[in-house]
Amino acid sequence: MSVADRLPEGDAERAALLGLGLIAFALAFAASPLTAIIPTGLSVFFEVGVLFVVYGILVLGLDLQYGHTGLVNFGHVVFFAVGGYTVAILAAQNSFSGTSLGYPWPLALVAGVITAGVVGAIVGATSLRLRDDFLAIATLAAAEIFHSVTVNVQGIFGGSTGILSIPRPIRTAAGDYDTMMIVTLVLFSGLTALTYAGLTRLTDAPYGRVLRAIRADELVTRSVGKSVFTYKMQAFVYGAALAGFAGGIFALYNGALSPEFFTIQVTVTVWIGMLLGGASNHRAVLGGLAVIMGLRLFSRFANDAVPVTATEFASLRLIAIGMILVLVIRYRPAGIWGDPDELGVDS
Amino acid sequence: MGLAQNIVFGLVTGSYIAIAAIGFTLIYGIVDMINFAYGEYLTIGAFVGFLAAGLLPLPAAVLVAMVGGGVVSLALAWLFFTPINETGPVPMLLTSIGLGLVLRNVIRIFAGGSARYYDTTTETFRTQGIPEVPVGSFDLVGDVYVTSEHLVVVGCAVAVFLVIHGLLTRTDVGIAMRAMGDSEDLARVRGIDTQFIRNSVWILAGVLAGLAGVLVGIQTNVNVTTGYAHILQILAAAILGGAGSPYGAIAGAYVIGIVVALSTAFLPSHMTGLSSAMAFVVLVAVLLVKPSGIAGAEVREA
Repeated sequence: MSVADRLPEGDAERAALLGLGLIAFALAFAASPLTAIIPTGLSVFFEVGVLFVVYGILVLGLDLQYGHTGLVNFGHVVFFAVGGYTVAILAAQNSFSGTSLGYPWPLALVAGVITAGVVGAIVGATSLRLRDDFLAIATLAAAEIFHSVTVNVQGIFGGSTGILSIPRPIRTAAGDYDTMMIVTLVLFSGLTALTYAGLTRLTDAPYGRVLRAIRADELVTRSVGKSVFTYKMQAFVYGAALAGFAGGIFALYNGALSPEFFTIQVTVTVWIGMLLGGASNHRAVLGGLAVIMGLRLFSRFANDAVPVTATEFASLRLIAIGMILVLVIRYRPAGIWGDPDELGVDS
Repeated sequence: MGLAQNIVFGLVTGSYIAIAAIGFTLIYGIVDMINFAYGEYLTIGAFVGFLAAGLLPLPAAVLVAMVGGGVVSLALAWLFFTPINETGPVPMLLTSIGLGLVLRNVIRIFAGGSARYYDTTTETFRTQGIPEVPVGSFDLVGDVYVTSEHLVVVGCAVAVFLVIHGLLTRTDVGIAMRAMGDSEDLARVRGIDTQFIRNSVWILAGVLAGLAGVLVGIQTNVNVTTGYAHILQILAAAILGGAGSPYGAIAGAYVIGIVVALSTAFLPSHMTGLSSAMAFVVLVAVLLVKPSGIAGAEVREA
């Protein structure tokens, strides 16, 4: 019997195995005295790669909310930001702006996840009963409020400078920068794979069927005795807590946070990734996000090749992203790998 | 500065928000979409007006901006929104978010990030000798000044309210718009050309956005985020008033304007940036307490 035969059958189990494998490898590599060198010019791949896996956790959580349950959360970045800032404030040591309390980082990470979940519960309790498009506006408003609070309240959030000197455990363990980037990418990929495994288990279970029933027809779901609001609330809080986790690990990787990491751009990026790939399919949303992040990577190189300034180029990239969103909705409403029948859209 | 002065500022802000919020809420009521790109329509109006003001006297430039706004709005609707009219509110909202991103960055490429100022002469009218009624460091009444710009903005707003009221109650097109806002199917049964009415609404909303854009530009300045900076206030005003209701939007806009002005006055100076967030706090509070707004429509579903 070969190794391949002994691999588990299910998608979720395989992803879990892959995730644990990646995490074990990353930890072993970080603990070992071995170092690695990333060839010059390739480090940008690692930077965008890390961002991709962090956003991957965001898009998986968002897909649980929108793709499976039909909750139009257009303020997903707020939970990412709440998680990040909670970790930053609790774990940072002697940051010269904002508050830094200097608690151990694992505690801060747990607190970040819980805080994001609690904020999700508050936003959910207040707005989940609204019609779809008003839910989008209410969540968007929540994100804008939090963003302007982080910019304006300098005593706690450090204003536009943000919070610095957040501990970077991977950096400490890995030693040099190149090794850290590799370890981070592998470790975070493992975490994203574990998220994927957990969510696949959740949505393949009868629980996931109820969520999809809610998306398809709330009234019918309620009439068969399911408490629609409770399910919606749970899906919303799970997504929020996952985003908080993503924000927390991002803070611990980056070592500094400022409001510019948490603009509406993040929400737009994960939404486009999700719609482009095909909502309600965990693999497809990651694929769609990969396309968008690939575009970002490509644009970093393309900027050197065309004679426009960096600001103009940034605008051109945003125009491209906006047009992709418009065109996907118009011509492929189910996304590239999505199933139109499943989503109940015409395409 | 006293309370009275801040109320004046609030009324001025409320006036241009109201003009834009009417356009926004008409689109919501009749096309059934939240148009998140509407702020960019204001920006386009402000830029068209600014360019025209270089060649023409200001009142003529305002007219050019209004016509320009109407044309742009109809063209964008024809390109982006009409083809997906049947897909429902969420895809249309998402499309408008994408379109807003595109428009904002197209404008940024052509206009850069710098601010431009309308060349206007202003006169200032002051009251003298109104007694101060201090409460702590804050003054409950106080002297008031009003500039001619303030008067122009408020005057335009009142004129718009009268014209819109006349349009919606006295003309066939306006009555058909209200009918469509109530029930599109019944309107069609009665022989109303719904696509024609939709196009009229797009033009009307564009004209209003053009006017509001120029007024915002005169009050502050013209730059790439002139409109985007106000979209959330416009949205808050429209929802506060009861989405789809023009009269509600007017009332909502003045509430938002005064809340923003007063919170600028009351907040500590290093937190004045929070004043526009106050508009959202009001919005979220309204969605919680009375999601149907001041005037009406039901937005809660479960």
